[in-house]
Amino acid sequence: MTTGERITTLLSPQLLAQLERLELVSRKIFRGRMKGERRSNRKGQSVEFADFRNYVPGDDLRFIDWNLYARLDRLFLKLFLEEEDLHFYALIDCSDSMTFGEPSKLQFAKQLAASLGFIGLCRADRVKIEALGTSRSKPAPVLRGRASLWRMLEYLDQIESGANVPLLQSVKDFVLCNSGKGIVVLLTDLMDKAGYEAAINYLLTRQMDVYVIHVLAPEELDPELTGDLKLVDCEDGDIAEITMSRPLLDRYKRTLAAFIEGAREYCTRRGMNYLTTSTAVPVEQIVSSYLRKKGLVR
Amino acid sequence: MGSEFFLNSLLWWQWGILAAIPPAILLLYFLKLKRRPLEVPSTFLWMRAIEDLHVNSIWQRLRQNLLLFLQLLFIALLALALLRPGWQGTRLDGERFILLLDTSASMQATDVTENRLAAAKQDCLNLIDAMESGAVAMIISFSDVARVEQTFTDNKNILRAKVKAIESTNRLSDLEEALRAASGLANPGRSSNTEDKQDLQVAEAMPATLYIFSDGGFREIPNFALGNLEPKYVRAGSETPQNVAITSFSTSRNPDHPQKLQTFARIENFGTEKIECSASLYLNGTLLDAQQVSIPPREKQSAGASGVQFEMDDEDEGVLKLEIDVKDDFSLDNAAYTVLNIQRPARVLVVSPSMSKSMRLALSTDEATKVAQISYETPAFMESKGYQEGSSSGLYDLIMYDRCVPPAPPQANTLFIGRVPNFPDWTAKEQPAREKQGAPSIYNIDNVHPLTQLVDMPNVIIVDALDVTPPKGGMSLIDANIGSLLSITPRQSFEDAVLGFELVTTADDGTDKPTTDWSRRRSFPVFFMNALKYLGGVSLQANLSGVRPGEPYPIRTLVPVDRVRVKPPQGGRELEVLRETQQAITFTQTEDLGVYEVREGTGSQLSQQFAVNLFDARESDLLPAENIEIGHASVEKEVKQGRDAVRKELWKWIVMLGLGIVLLEWYIYNKRVYV
Repeated sequence: MTTGERITTLLSPQLLAQLERLELVSRKIFRGRMKGERRSNRKGQSVEFADFRNYVPGDDLRFIDWNLYARLDRLFLKLFLEEEDLHFYALIDCSDSMTFGEPSKLQFAKQLAASLGFIGLCRADRVKIEALGTSRSKPAPVLRGRASLWRMLEYLDQIESGANVPLLQSVKDFVLCNSGKGIVVLLTDLMDKAGYEAAINYLLTRQMDVYVIHVLAPEELDPELTGDLKLVDCEDGDIAEITMSRPLLDRYKRTLAAFIEGAREYCTRRGMNYLTTSTAVPVEQIVSSYLRKKGLVR
Repeated sequence: MGSEFFLNSLLWWQWGILAAIPPAILLLYFLKLKRRPLEVPSTFLWMRAIEDLHVNSIWQRLRQNLLLFLQLLFIALLALALLRPGWQGTRLDGERFILLLDTSASMQATDVTENRLAAAKQDCLNLIDAMESGAVAMIISFSDVARVEQTFTDNKNILRAKVKAIESTNRLSDLEEALRAASGLANPGRSSNTEDKQDLQVAEAMPATLYIFSDGGFREIPNFALGNLEPKYVRAGSETPQNVAITSFSTSRNPDHPQKLQTFARIENFGTEKIECSASLYLNGTLLDAQQVSIPPREKQSAGASGVQFEMDDEDEGVLKLEIDVKDDFSLDNAAYTVLNIQRPARVLVVSPSMSKSMRLALSTDEATKVAQISYETPAFMESKGYQEGSSSGLYDLIMYDRCVPPAPPQANTLFIGRVPNFPDWTAKEQPAREKQGAPSIYNIDNVHPLTQLVDMPNVIIVDALDVTPPKGGMSLIDANIGSLLSITPRQSFEDAVLGFELVTTADDGTDKPTTDWSRRRSFPVFFMNALKYLGGVSLQANLSGVRPGEPYPIRTLVPVDRVRVKPPQGGRELEVLRETQQAITFTQTEDLGVYEVREGTGSQLSQQFAVNLFDARESDLLPAENIEIGHASVEKEVKQGRDAVRKELWKWIVMLGLGIVLLEWYIYNKRVYV
């Protein structure tokens, strides 16, 4: 598969054009490592004036406003806004359960991660897309600048399912490895029998701006199953014997709704953003509409 | 075999096959439990969804195996149907039924559970239940009158309700009217001329089965043709009912001691054992006297009877009650009432051009003055206002017209002497010319009629007489060679007696000359006394115990009031009865036994009383008839009510239920309504 094909499978040219106009927004202020295009409320060196303050001995004389001294006979220091870069992390759950759906949830997550990553690259943010469960020996690349789009797509392309590491474990690894603060987008189906709560809590410890995008396939939202079935869990081979009936289906839907609502509440209470989406919804719509409403992009 | 609840319809090996089916179904269920494996992203949510179902897993398992249970139930029902459960029932043949229910007094007898009417009603209800669907029935209740309770209908609910609503009466029984009502549809009328070859049935005959629920206590009906009716007699009552009855009770003056009253009663025993009992006589509720009576048992058809007689001082008025203290199956006839009323003298007007001495003598005997108040007038009085008012308002009980005729028929009984009345019946064209025909010779006198009772007229010379053969409806009391000498004809509620010869004739010189020697005979005052008593209504008042339940009672008032109020024996509201241009007011609501009080006009003064008694040996004789005679047919009692024994089976319903279960199973299988 050539790079061009990858672009078209993951990001269509129309989408790219659309994404170029967007930028990633963080509600939290982070200290970037490098200068970027992003204004920070930290005072620093840039062309953008922020404020004056009284001179105290030891200040850099270069920033004294001499014009003001001439008029007022007092020393003032000119303060400028610092422009910084933003750390953007996209975490893709690549457990086996993500392979379901048409397109698969994994593919959908890749598209979404690519879209958001591209926005970050365009704005000179520090972008890191990481497949959860990848070993530490093969860390994901840190990307910056539009030119890194190809690298990003290459990396995304080689992500495959099969790393059935518990969510908690993989998130813990990520948090330990990546100390930078910024935006974290977790793309997962939250289908972890051990529970997703502890994993999400880990993300919070870094005081990151966390977005949980809950990806579900239409088959999960509205299963079309009939007959007496032996359901086999694709990850752990767990078996559930059911006889499909309308009440059971209703019960499943109620359980699913409760599950989604529980996750939403859990995230919202902890200051995280939560979004459920079906793989049937086009990525463009999610980025340009849903995530815009959520305030991740603008 | 027929009475068994189950009826095997399969051989043992067939049962074996049937028994193998449930295990086969179970086996198939176990084999069927092979679930299709399906890989899903996660069983996480599914596990949660079925989690609470595992809590009551037994019930869940039951629910999951609902189809299995339904199938097993179906097989069980099939097996039950093959056993053909059923019971011995009856079926009524026929499509049209007429149910005659006896409500006469004797049906109140308690020799069967509750009473005979209740038992008969139950029989009737059973019969209605046994009717095939589509069959129609009609209900007639009868005592001495018949009442159509329900016309033909196939609605069993209506029929049941109507039967249940039937109540007993104190009346006597007469089947004939009920039979006529019943035969109306079964035997459609024909033209009256049976000789006519053109005689056609006016409607199609509808044959029906006639069920008579009765104890058979009514007279034979010899002149009734059943035609298309097929009678069945369902007998009510037990074989050995016990009953002692007062069958007559009357009071009269002791001829030897006129100041004493005599009371007679006849007590009959319809049971099979000799009865010793005491008969107590009460006057206005106070015990006067009591006697011990011994009544022999019945012998075949005739009841054992005994009489009691009480002597008592003269009482002007009051209610006498006779009671016997026996416990039998029929209580209505254990008490009897009679009433002593003040005898009201009859008001009599004699209109005569010249009152003959003999006639005046005959009307002024002691006995006559006691029973009648007689006024004498000449024919000129008939022109006066006083006569017109008196004769039209019912002031007079009897008016005697001696050799004269009134301008219009009076509201009173009349006796015409030597003239034929000018009333419409008598002046009709077909009536013969009434002319004097010379001396008649009498050859017959009616000794039974109260007017000519004890009137003996041998060798009576009559100079000249008219033929007074009465118009239609009347009867001749004295027959002579020229025709009738004395006849009596009803007119509305009155009677007109006509004597065909003059007693005296007025000669040219104005003196009366006798034209008969009858006035010298003893029968002459007897005849006038009879006339006063019978036509003056005195005898009717003396008839103290003549009213039977349901019979109309003519109330003669002391003063000509337009209405009376009658208080029934059971108390309650007074009934107001209006006069209907008649001499007497007729009271018809005599259903209850006992003493009725009559008050005249609006006054509160008790003016008279009358008693209603059963006094009917046929009703008191409780022994139910073995058969009843209708026309030439003798209807035997039904042993099993003429119903065909038939086995009522349930298998059709069971199979239908089974099919319902199969349908339910199909629905559940398709809709998966269970979890």
